[in-house]
Amino acid sequence: MTDHLSTTFYALADPTRRAILARLITGECAVTELAEPFEMSLPAVSKHLRVLERAGLITRGRSAQWRPCAINALPLKEVAEWTERYRKFWEGKFDNLELYLQELKAKEKTNGSKRRGK
Amino acid sequence: MAASGVANSETFTVTTPSDTEIQLTRLFDAPRHLVFEAMSKPEHIKRWWGNLGDGYSVPVCEVDLRIGGKWRFVNRHPKGEAEFYGEYREIDPPGRIVFTEIYAPFPDAPSVVTATLADENGKTRLVATSNYPSKMVRDMVLQTGMEKGAAKSYDRLDEVSMQLATSR
Repeated sequence: MTDHLSTTFYALADPTRRAILARLITGECAVTELAEPFEMSLPAVSKHLRVLERAGLITRGRSAQWRPCAINALPLKEVAEWTERYRKFWEGKFDNLELYLQELKAKEKTNGSKRRGK
Repeated sequence: MAASGVANSETFTVTTPSDTEIQLTRLFDAPRHLVFEAMSKPEHIKRWWGNLGDGYSVPVCEVDLRIGGKWRFVNRHPKGEAEFYGEYREIDPPGRIVFTEIYAPFPDAPSVVTATLADENGKTRLVATSNYPSKMVRDMVLQTGMEKGAAKSYDRLDEVSMQLATSR
């Protein structure tokens, strides 16, 4: 699957890249600055940035001297929406279970015993 | 605040602890033995699993609650039926149950579900972790979202199954 979401997920599957994104949430910054917290060469960081850029998760400035990176949240929103249906599905089932458990609890109370007839 | 208005709804989370897993957690306002029963006895399962409103029912709900015993649920919905089955691997009431789960159209993609029930001051925290055979299958399950109106997801499943078949 090389669709858009798969590219996003691939980009997000790495802790360094997630850390880079987390840093960029606070504002745009230069590659050298981004590399600082990681024990990693600049080319290695640049490689991560290319993956993020390909996934559309970051944008890079045009200036050759100082190409600041900025986060682009749109693909993240797509990821959130993507799992939303799954979340909703189970949320509904578990809400049902919670309501049903209250019935079971009430029954157990009136029976005054853990053993309930078939 | 619980969006649905149902107790503890806000405690529900979906996470992906690894590339091949989906983890669901939720707190229930009931002791562990009741939650365990509700999850493992057909007469209870029928009442909450797949019962999502008008046009939904669970016509088949078979549980042979023994290690190696089989289970099979069919969820009837307005657009058709969805069948799931599997086998129990570990049964340790009221704290733990492990079973395999297969969605009938994809018999080659079984998941292993580990459900643990922990007591929290009389309430029960359920952690259910489904482990899929590959990241692709896991992503497929997340993507289809097991939608209520399953028609759309079946379309997507078809697409993905073709991709799965050609990638082998």
